[in-house]
Amino acid sequence: MKTKARKDSIRKRKNIEEKYSWDRLSDSDHERKSHKARALIATVIVISLFLLYMVKLYRVQVSDHEYYSVKSDSNRIRIRPIQATRGIIYDRKGSILADNISTFNLIVKKELIKDKKDFLKKLGLLVNLDKNIIESIEKQYKNRRLKDITIIEDITLDDYSKIAVDQYILPIIELSPKSKRRYNFPESISHLMGYVGKVSNNDLDSPVVKIHEGMTEIGKLGVERFYQNILSGQPGFEKLETDAKGEVIRILETKEPIRGRDVVLTIDLELQNFIYEKVKKKEGAVIVMNPNNGDVLAFVSFPGYDLNLFTKSISNQQYTDLLNDIRRPLINRATTGQYPPGSTLKPFIGMIALEQGIIDANKHVNCDGAYELGNHKRPFRCWKKDGHGDANLSYALTQSCDVFFYRVAELTGIDSISEHLYKYGFGERTYIDLYGEKSGLIPDRKWKLKTKALPWYPGETLNVGIGQGYFLATPMQLTLATASLATNGETYTPHLLLGDKNNKTNEISVYKHKNNKFSTLFKHPDYLEIVKHAMWRVVNEKRVGTASSMKKIRNIEFAGKTGTAQVYNLDKGKTGTKRLQDHALFISYAPFELPEIVVTVVVENGGGGSATAAPIARDIIEYYMDKKSTSVSMYE
Amino acid sequence: MSDFIDTKKPFSGLSALLYIDAKLVIPIMIITLIGLVTIFSSSSGDLNLVLKQLTRIMIGIITMILIAQVNPDNLKLFAPILYLFTVFLLALVLLFGVGNTADRWLDLYIIRFQPSELMKILVPLMLATFYADKPLPPKVTYILIAILIVLIPVFMIMRQPDLGTALLIGMSGAIAILLAGMSFRFFLAGVFSAASLIPILWLSMHQYQKQRVLTFFNPESDPMGSGYQLMQSKIALGSGGFFGKGFFNGSQSKLGFVPERSTDFIFTAFGEEFGYLGVIILMSMYLFIALRGLSISIKATDNFGRILTGALSLTIFVYVLVNVGMVIGFLPVVGAPLPFMSYGGTSMVTLFATIGMIMSVKSHQRILRK
Repeated sequence: MKTKARKDSIRKRKNIEEKYSWDRLSDSDHERKSHKARALIATVIVISLFLLYMVKLYRVQVSDHEYYSVKSDSNRIRIRPIQATRGIIYDRKGSILADNISTFNLIVKKELIKDKKDFLKKLGLLVNLDKNIIESIEKQYKNRRLKDITIIEDITLDDYSKIAVDQYILPIIELSPKSKRRYNFPESISHLMGYVGKVSNNDLDSPVVKIHEGMTEIGKLGVERFYQNILSGQPGFEKLETDAKGEVIRILETKEPIRGRDVVLTIDLELQNFIYEKVKKKEGAVIVMNPNNGDVLAFVSFPGYDLNLFTKSISNQQYTDLLNDIRRPLINRATTGQYPPGSTLKPFIGMIALEQGIIDANKHVNCDGAYELGNHKRPFRCWKKDGHGDANLSYALTQSCDVFFYRVAELTGIDSISEHLYKYGFGERTYIDLYGEKSGLIPDRKWKLKTKALPWYPGETLNVGIGQGYFLATPMQLTLATASLATNGETYTPHLLLGDKNNKTNEISVYKHKNNKFSTLFKHPDYLEIVKHAMWRVVNEKRVGTASSMKKIRNIEFAGKTGTAQVYNLDKGKTGTKRLQDHALFISYAPFELPEIVVTVVVENGGGGSATAAPIARDIIEYYMDKKSTSVSMYE
Repeated sequence: MSDFIDTKKPFSGLSALLYIDAKLVIPIMIITLIGLVTIFSSSSGDLNLVLKQLTRIMIGIITMILIAQVNPDNLKLFAPILYLFTVFLLALVLLFGVGNTADRWLDLYIIRFQPSELMKILVPLMLATFYADKPLPPKVTYILIAILIVLIPVFMIMRQPDLGTALLIGMSGAIAILLAGMSFRFFLAGVFSAASLIPILWLSMHQYQKQRVLTFFNPESDPMGSGYQLMQSKIALGSGGFFGKGFFNGSQSKLGFVPERSTDFIFTAFGEEFGYLGVIILMSMYLFIALRGLSISIKATDNFGRILTGALSLTIFVYVLVNVGMVIGFLPVVGAPLPFMSYGGTSMVTLFATIGMIMSVKSHQRILRK
C-alpha cells in the first residue's frame, strides 16, 4: 500500500509538472527572500521619494503661495491707461484756440513681423520710408517693452486710403486711433498758447505740474503749461486680463477718465490775429491789456511758429531749423525779451523827479543838443543835434528831449531813481500767468559792484535817465507800468485766464482780478496829470509831439510815448546790417479820458519809435475801437 | 495532498472572472477621471479633446483586460518576438520617421504611433523573460546580456532624438536588472561608469537638449527663454495655493502661460485649479498603485512574475516622479507624460497594457505552500 500510494503520489506530481511545466516549483526560498528584501528596499525608496515630493510641492503651493500669486496676477493683468480729453481753450469771445481731433497712427504689432528685412522692404513699397522713419522703427523694434511699432504718426484717413489700395502686400499694418491737440491759429498765438508734448523727465521733476498715473502728454509752454493741471483732467484706466500672447481676454475693471476743464482766455482772437498779420514780418512784441482789470487782450510775440509741428514728434531737422532761424521765432519776446526801453522810460523818470520834488512843472532846462557832465570828455548828446532850447517837463516829454532828462537824472541820482522805478513794476516779474517770465533789470550801485566789480559812474545815471545803459524791461513790464499811469496807480496783475469751465456740468469759475489789485500811491495827482498830458501831446500836438504825424482815429484821442533804444553794441551802422538798427518802442493807452486799453509795441531793429512802433499802436487802437461796439465777451 | 497546491483563486465575482485587480483599477480610474476633468478645463471646455482622450482610455481599458487574460507563460513566449519586432520598428522610425522636430512617430497608415512608447513595457518584459529560467542572482554574463537588451533600444531612441524616453527606458531596464538580484556593488560600478560617459553624451546631445539641461540648473537665467516653461509652471502651481483656484479658474493654464498644459504640464494645470489638496489626493493614488504593484511583486511565485511586476510598477512611479519633478524644477524639462493623465494615445494604451501585465501575473499565479 505504501509503495502504491507513493508511486501514485509521484505520478500525480509528474502529471502536474508536465501539465503546467512548472518552473515555479523550482522557486527557491533563497530567491524569494532575496527578491522580497529588494522589493522592500524599493518600497522604502518609493515612500521616501513620495514624501520628498510632497514637501517640495508644499513649499511651492502653500509656503510660497503669496509670492506666486502676485506673479500670476502680474502675468495676466495689464493696466491700460485711458487718456483724459484735454480741456478746450477758447478766446474771450468763444472762438476755439486749441481743441482735440482724432487722428490715426499707422502701427504694426511686433509679434507679427517675421522677418524684419522683408518687412521693411514691403513697407517701402507702401509708404515713403525716409531715414528718420527707418531709424525710429529700428529703435522701437529693439525696445523690448513695446508691443507695437508706430510707423507713421497722425496719418489722415485720406492718406491711409492711398496705402490701403496696396495693403495686400503687407496686411499686418493697421491704424490705431488717437486724440491729438490742434491749434487753430498756430503762429499768431504760439507764444501765449505753448503746446502739448510727451511727458519727459523734466516734467516729472517739475514742482508746478501734477503728473497723474498713466498720463502721456503734458503742456510744455505757455497757457498749456501754466493751466496744465486744470486742462489735463485725470486719466482713467482699464484693468485687462491678457493671455500669454498679450491678447486681451476680458476687461476686469474700468475707471473712466475725468475730462479736463475748458479754459477761456482774456485774449481777443480777432485782435490778436489782426496784430499778428500786421507784424509777422518783423521781430518784436505787442501787448494789448485792459488796465482796469489786467485782462490781456492780445499777446503777440513775433515771429511765431507753427505750434502744430510740436504736437506730433517734430523732426530733428524742423526743430533745428527753428532753433537756428536768425529771427529766433521760438523766443517769447513779450515776457522774456528784455530791452532797453529808451525814451518810453522818460514819463516814469519824470514822475519820480516830480514826486521827489527835484523838479516841478516849471523847471526849465536849456537844451543845446548836448549835455556836459563834470569831467567827462565827451558830452551826452540829445537826439536833436540843434537842441530843444528851453524845455520844461511837458515839452521835454512831448519832444522826447534827452538833455532835459540827463539833467533830471543827474539831479535825482541813481539811488532814488532805482528805488522808485520798482513802484511801476520794473525790475520785477509782472506775475502774468506764464512761466519763464524775465524780470528786467534796474541797475544800481550794489548791482554794479556785484556783477561788474566796479563803482557806479555818474554818466551811467544819465543813460538810465533816457532808458538806455544797463536798464532793461520786458514789453510786459512796460505794459504794466503804462497801465499804472493810465489808471492813476490802480493796477491789476496781467493775466490770460478769464475763467475755466467744467465741460459736463457747465460750472464756471471766473478769474477774480480784484484779488490781484495793487495801488501805487501818487501824493500829488497834478503831477500825474502833467505827465499824462505830455503823453497826450506826444500823439496829438501836431508838429510838436514825436508821434503826432499819424492820422487821427475819428474822435478818439489817446496818449503815448515813443522810444528808440540804441542797440547796445551798435557800431554806428558801419556794417549796415539790419541786426544793428535801433529798437523801436511805443507805449500808449486809449482812450485818453477813460482808458480801456494799454498798447505796447516793441519792434526789434525797427528804427525809430515814432516811425515804426507808434503807427502799429495807432492801427491797433483804431481796430479795437471799431470792433468793440460789435463784440460781446463770453462772460460779460 | 490537497494542501500541497492551493488552486483556489484568491478573487471572487467579476474581478475574478476578468482576472482584474480592483485595488489597481480603482486608483487608475480615479486618475484618468481627474485627467479628463483637467483636460476639459485647460482646453477651455473643448469636449472634442475630452472625447478623444476618453476613447483612448476605453481602448486602454480593453487592452488591459485582454492582456490580463493572457497567461504569463504566453507573455514570456511572445516577449522576444515583440521585442525584436519593436527594435525593427525603431529602425524604421529612424529611417522613415514622421514629424518635423523630433521624429518619433511611425505612420502605419491605419494608426500613427510611437514605437518608443511600446519599448517602455517591452524592455522590462524582455528582461523578466530573460531572467525567468536563470538562477538568481544572475551571473556577470547574464547581467551584461541584459544590459545589451536595454541599451540597444535606448541608443536607437536617443538617435530619434528623444532623450527623455531613452533615459526612462534605461531606468526601467536598470530597475528590472536590480530586482533580478544584481549586486549593489556591481550596480554602483555601473552607475559610475555610466557617469563617466556623460561628457560623451553631452557632446552627442542636440543644442535644444543641452539648453534644457542648462536651464534646469539655472532657470531664472533667462525667464523669457528656456526657463520660461519652468517659471510659469511654478507660478501656476504656487498661485493655486492649498485649495486651488477652483475648477475652470486656472488663469495661468487657461491663458496660455503654462505650455503643454494638456500633455506634459497637465500636473501643473491640475495643481493650479485644485491646489495642494488635489495634489495630495492625486499623488496618493500614484503611491498606492506603486505599493500595490510591489506587493504583487513580493507575492509573485516565480522570478518572471516578480521581476516583471516589480519593474513595471516601479517604472510607472518613476514616470510620475520624472514628470512631476520636471514641473516643480527637480529635474530638467525632458518631455515625459504624466501616466494616465496626459493627453496622448500611445502612452495611455501602453500604460494600461502595463497594468494588464501586472494583473495577468497577479491573477494567474498559483500559490505554493510547503
